Amino acid sequence: MNDIGEFTLLVALATALYGCVAYVMSARGNRIDLYLSADKTPFIVWACIAISSICLWKAFLTDDFSLQYVWAYSNRELDTFYKVSSFWGGQKGSLLFWTLLLSTYMLVVYFQNRSKNLRVVPYAMAIMLAILVFFLFLINFSTNPFERIPLPPEDGRGLNPLLQNYWMVIHPPTLYLGYVGFTVPFAFAVAALISKNLDDGWIRMTRKWTLISWFFLCMGNLFGASWAYVELGWGGYWAWDPVENAAFMPLLIATAFLHSVMIQEKKDMMKVWNMSLILLTFAMTIFGTFITRSGLIQSVHTFDEATLGYYFLAFLFVIIVACVALIILRLPLLKSANELDSFLSRESSFLFNNLVLLGIAFATFWGTIFPIISEAVRGVKITVGPPFYNQVNVPIGLALLALIGIGPVIAWRRATLSNLKKNFLKPLIAAIVAAVVLYPFIPLGSRTEIYTYTTFVLCVFVLASIGTEFYKGTVSRMGLHEESVVGALATVTWRNKRRYGGYIVHIGVVLIFAGIAGSQAYGTHTEKHLQPGESFEIRGYTIKYEKLIAVEATNIKTRIIAQLAVERDGRRYWTGHPEKEFYKGQNQPVSEVDVLSTWKEDLYMILADFREDESATIKVYVNPMVSWMWTGGWIIAFGTMISMWPDRLEQRRRLDRVRKQEQLFPAPAQE
Amino acid sequence: MKQKKVRFLVGSLLIVGAIGYLITMGISNTSQYFFTVDELMSQKVSFAGTGLKVKGKVVNGSIQRDPNDYLDVKFFIEENSASLKVAYQGVTPDMFIDGGEVVVEGTLGKDGIFHANTLLTSCPSKYEAEKEAGKMHPGTLPQADKYQKPGLNKAEVLPKTTI
Repeated sequence: MNDIGEFTLLVALATALYGCVAYVMSARGNRIDLYLSADKTPFIVWACIAISSICLWKAFLTDDFSLQYVWAYSNRELDTFYKVSSFWGGQKGSLLFWTLLLSTYMLVVYFQNRSKNLRVVPYAMAIMLAILVFFLFLINFSTNPFERIPLPPEDGRGLNPLLQNYWMVIHPPTLYLGYVGFTVPFAFAVAALISKNLDDGWIRMTRKWTLISWFFLCMGNLFGASWAYVELGWGGYWAWDPVENAAFMPLLIATAFLHSVMIQEKKDMMKVWNMSLILLTFAMTIFGTFITRSGLIQSVHTFDEATLGYYFLAFLFVIIVACVALIILRLPLLKSANELDSFLSRESSFLFNNLVLLGIAFATFWGTIFPIISEAVRGVKITVGPPFYNQVNVPIGLALLALIGIGPVIAWRRATLSNLKKNFLKPLIAAIVAAVVLYPFIPLGSRTEIYTYTTFVLCVFVLASIGTEFYKGTVSRMGLHEESVVGALATVTWRNKRRYGGYIVHIGVVLIFAGIAGSQAYGTHTEKHLQPGESFEIRGYTIKYEKLIAVEATNIKTRIIAQLAVERDGRRYWTGHPEKEFYKGQNQPVSEVDVLSTWKEDLYMILADFREDESATIKVYVNPMVSWMWTGGWIIAFGTMISMWPDRLEQRRRLDRVRKQEQLFPAPAQE
Repeated sequence: MKQKKVRFLVGSLLIVGAIGYLITMGISNTSQYFFTVDELMSQKVSFAGTGLKVKGKVVNGSIQRDPNDYLDVKFFIEENSASLKVAYQGVTPDMFIDGGEVVVEGTLGKDGIFHANTLLTSCPSKYEAEKEAGKMHPGTLPQADKYQKPGLNKAEVLPKTTI
């Protein structure tokens, strides 16, 4: 079985290499025979990788410790659930998993676009195959997951307990689905450049792909945040760690891309800009992989094998040079047909939104690589931490928040004074009312407090401006048809999925902003060493340490649980059970926190330490509004679903377009 | 036409400039020097009083906890035979053990003691296969030495109420 897995990987590499060359040659030389042959490769490559992955999974499930990788990340007692997820628990498997996802995406693209647009698709397939070749090369020759141990040990080393959490099963695949997904729009963009089909065809063909990848990346970031929150036990959800940044930067740039392509579709402008953005998004995903796997930057997530990073660096370099050269070469064809009319217009609000998003991405990038730069330039390593990111990104983020409110209601082309008044009066009044109402309740002493206050006011402004959009649509629908309010609202949304879906996503983003502001500004925490029966107060809660309980949960896991009574206004309100878990074969315990989550605040408890006399150190955080962020995440998911939902009208338009294109470029005769 | 372009250019430059300003200010206000213990010791200039980040390994058996205040910890970190005394107030992470690699943030006092306000441990085993396979950290002690499980209150398995 392991031999099969190893062998199919080699076959996949050879086939991908052949397919890549054959696709390019068939497209350049107009050779149908080669095209027909090349067109079989995506499926073969996918099948080989899938077989190989199944082999690895089987090795995990059957406890085949003759594989070094299985030995390192599993043992006999491991839950089946985690045996499956151990697949991507380490470097080697995660690369194979990446390849599996990429080839699956490629297969879907292949079936979606077969015999469609034969100018662009072969190049796009060739580019995806080329990227696969890179990964397959690494897997085959540098980090082979099928590496053997000559004398198989009896038992494996086991999975790190920190990774034995259900988020571990959800978070990395989600993030990878996002990371890998951007390969598709990137491949189509480059294919469009090579084949000189530089209308917005590639954008429309890959719109769904971009959205799906964006969605997964966004969810992956949020899942990562909640994983850190419930698992790592430090009371926070985001630490501006290099690896977190690596996932955050592509998300920002992809967000900019999602917005600016609308300008290209509507106005035929910003072609070079969009090309650069998708290139940058893809480059950022590779850069992120480089950071994670090079160990160059101090991070909590690092992989061990340092050499691998440089392959990614080289790959990144090749991609950037090739793409920049291509864009420069095609510059004459990328001329915009229109130009911006006015400062006060929807178009320019998109432009500013792009600049602001890129600004946050750049600040994050700069902070991440600053230690390397300072070491190279000045010879000393200088690091920046969360204070830097907060100081820089918070003001830029506030500007972004304001733009979310302005963008949807400002007029296209040129906003006149009268339509400014018409569109902005209500949101502005709402914001002013919010500012006045909130003023007595919010302290405004420090800079953080002023930022928080501003955030809340802006959130109200944005919600009001989105609300008026929904209101306007609903009312005009009700005027034309006899429908109830809810019915009209639903119809309006359903008829314009893309637009209103986007607004719903914006509502989610606003909630996330509010959640971050609230939890960052008004959180508090305390830690106490207590004897059983002792208690302390925090934010109106009285927390009483009752007892310590030891439980032999399974034969590999022992749980030490502290029982804490939470009282409020003199009556028992909740009982918290933070604990520490000890796993056999692991030299460190894992803290399991306990959280009481309400929409107002989270009460977050950690058993930090305990001693033989049953005294324990308890750390308690009060984190306001954290649940707003998770709610915002679900709303984003809902909004993205709506805007992604297949649209009949759009499909019809697309079919027309394809037909027109086929008349222009008749497809080569097929068998 | 041309004037409009200039205006957009100026507008964009203003935004870019503002962001650039924020970044520069952010760097100069919040950056910290990052040294390993031996690098810090070999510096000619004194860094007493400035914010620093120092990385090293916890010296075996050097962790001292104040018997009256459990949250008060003192320990030594070392790197390439240079060592540094660190004082820290607070809960220590799970992976803070003898021989473990730590990063401390704080200031170096005139007395040569490093007063840390953050203590970070790098995840030793998260993805690292090779390191643990053959060579354990020299000072890694077996689990039971640090945590004695209390033999009391053996109770039934509690339902976990994490939300």
